[in-house]
Amino acid sequence: MTQRRSVSRRLRRGLGIIGLIGTVLLLAAVAFFYSFTFTHLDPQAAMMRAIKEMLEHVALPLIVLLVPVTIMVLRVIRQAFVPLAEAAAEIEAARGHERGFRIDASQMPAEAVPFTEAVNDLLTRLDESAMRQEAFAADVAHELRTPLALLSLELDRLDHDDAVRLKKDVAAMRRLIDQLMLLAQIDADAAAQIAPEPTSLADVASDVVGSIAPVIIAEGKMISLDTDEPALIVNARREAVAAALRNLIENATRVTPVGGTIQVRVGPDATLAVRDEGPGLTPDRLRDLVQRHRRADHASKTGAGLGLAIVERIMAAHGGRLTTDPATRELALRFPEP
Amino acid sequence: MRLLVVEDNDRMAALIADGLQRRGFVCDVALNLAQADDAMAGAQYDAIVLDLGLPDGDGIDWLADHRKYHQMPPAIIQTARGALEDRITGLDAGADDYVVKPVEVDELAARIRALLRRPGVRTQPIIEVGTLRFDTANRSASIADRNVDLSRREADLLELLMRRAGTVVHRDVIENALYSFNDPVTPNAVEAAISRLRRKLDEAALPDMLHTVRGVGYMLKDIPA
Repeated sequence: MTQRRSVSRRLRRGLGIIGLIGTVLLLAAVAFFYSFTFTHLDPQAAMMRAIKEMLEHVALPLIVLLVPVTIMVLRVIRQAFVPLAEAAAEIEAARGHERGFRIDASQMPAEAVPFTEAVNDLLTRLDESAMRQEAFAADVAHELRTPLALLSLELDRLDHDDAVRLKKDVAAMRRLIDQLMLLAQIDADAAAQIAPEPTSLADVASDVVGSIAPVIIAEGKMISLDTDEPALIVNARREAVAAALRNLIENATRVTPVGGTIQVRVGPDATLAVRDEGPGLTPDRLRDLVQRHRRADHASKTGAGLGLAIVERIMAAHGGRLTTDPATRELALRFPEP
Repeated sequence: MRLLVVEDNDRMAALIADGLQRRGFVCDVALNLAQADDAMAGAQYDAIVLDLGLPDGDGIDWLADHRKYHQMPPAIIQTARGALEDRITGLDAGADDYVVKPVEVDELAARIRALLRRPGVRTQPIIEVGTLRFDTANRSASIADRNVDLSRREADLLELLMRRAGTVVHRDVIENALYSFNDPVTPNAVEAAISRLRRKLDEAALPDMLHTVRGVGYMLKDIPA
C-alpha cells in the first residue's frame, strides 16, 4: 500500500526543498560577492572569514525565516482541517438518523466548500431515492387493501371449512400490509424530523396492553402489566413507541402456548420489557430477524414478519436499543436515560 | 338495528351490507354523499358506517357539517389510512370509532355493537351482551331471563363493563365511575367488587366472561346477542 498523501507532510517536504535550494543559492551569492575579498587573504583567514560570512548571511536568515514559517504553516493547515474533523464527528453522531442529514458548510474553509456541497447534493439525491422507494412501497400496500378487503368479505360469505383457513391467510397479508405502511410512516417521520415529546412509558404500556388484551384473551392466553417505574418519562414519539411495544407483544403472543401469560413490564430504568412463554431468542437470532428485511430473505418460517425489524428501526430512531435475554425469555426496548 | 353503509365501491358496499345483515343488522347502502343525504332524510338509522374518500366529497367533512346542525346517529369510519396519527383525525372530526381497511365483518359488527351500547343520542334502556341483559331503567340484570341479584355498586360496575364489552376498562376509569370524591376508595375495593360480580356470573352459568388484565383493568367478553 502506498503511503497516504498528507498535506502537512507535503508542506514539510516542500519547505525542506525551498530551504535546500535557498541555501545553495545564498551560498553561491556569498561566494560570488566575497570571492574578490577572499583572494587577498591567506587560506586560513579566508576559511574563517568564509565560515563567518556563511553563518551570518546564510544560516541565520534561513533559520529566522524557515522556522516560524514552518510553524505557522502547519498551524494554519491544522486549523483549516478542524471543520472537516468536526463534520466527520457530526456524520458519525448522525448514525441511526441519517435521513435529512446535511454537512454544515458554513464553517468550512472556502476550498472545502465545493466538496461539501457535492456531498450534500449526493445526500439529497440518496434521500430522494429512498423516499421514492418508500412512497412506492406505501402505495403498493395501500392499493392492495381494496382487493384484500373484497377477498376477505367474499370469504366471509363462504360457509366452508376452507374459508377459515383462507381467512387466516388473508389476515396474515393484512398484517404484512399494516407493517409496510408503518415502516413507511416511521421513515417519513424520520425524514420530516418530527421532534420527540416527553412521553410516559407507563401510560403507553397501559394503553397498548389494554387495547391488545381482547385479542390475546380471545386466543385463550393472558397478558399482565407490571409497572416498576410509574413516573418514568422519556423523550419519544408516542405512537412509534406504542407500535414497537405492540409488535413485541404480538411476537410474544405467537410463541406463547394457550393458557400462558405474556408479561409486560415498565422499568427498571427507561425500559419496556415483554416476557413470553416461548423458547427465548438468542442475540444472534434476534440480529438475524432484525436484519432480515435488508436481505432478500423474506420467507418467514416463524411468522415473525417484519415486526422485529420495525421495532429495531423505531428504537434506533430514538437512540435506544432492542435487546434480548434468552434466559428470562424477555425482549426489551431500552431507551436512553432521560 | 338499522345501519347506513356509505361506501363508493359498490361491490364492497354490497358485501359489507350482506355480512352485517347476516349478523342481524338491517342495512341500507349509499354509494355517495348525495345518496347518503337522501337515505338520512327518509329513515332513522342507529349507526352509520362511513368511508372517507367518496366521489362527491370527504366523509369526514360531511360528518362534521351534519354534526353542526342535526342530531346524528353514531358513526364509525372506515379508513385506509392505517398509519399512526392519521387514524385519530377522524375521531377529532366527530366520528365515534374507526376501523382500518381491509376490515373484517366480525370486527366491524363488534365495533357497531359497542357503539350502540354507549350512552348517547338514542339511549337504549336495555344493554345486551350475549344472554346477559342489563335494564338501565330499573338497574337490574338477567341471564337467559333469570334474574341476577346485584348490589348498587355491582350493578354500576356491570353496566360500565357491558357498555364497553370487548374492550379493557382501565382500573382508574372504574374507580372514577364507581366512587365519588368524598367516598374514599380502598385499594382492594375494585378487586372485591369484581370478584363478587365474577362469582355471580359464574353461578349464573356464564363462566369465563369477566377477565382480569393484571396491572391494567378488566374486560367483559363481547358475545353477539
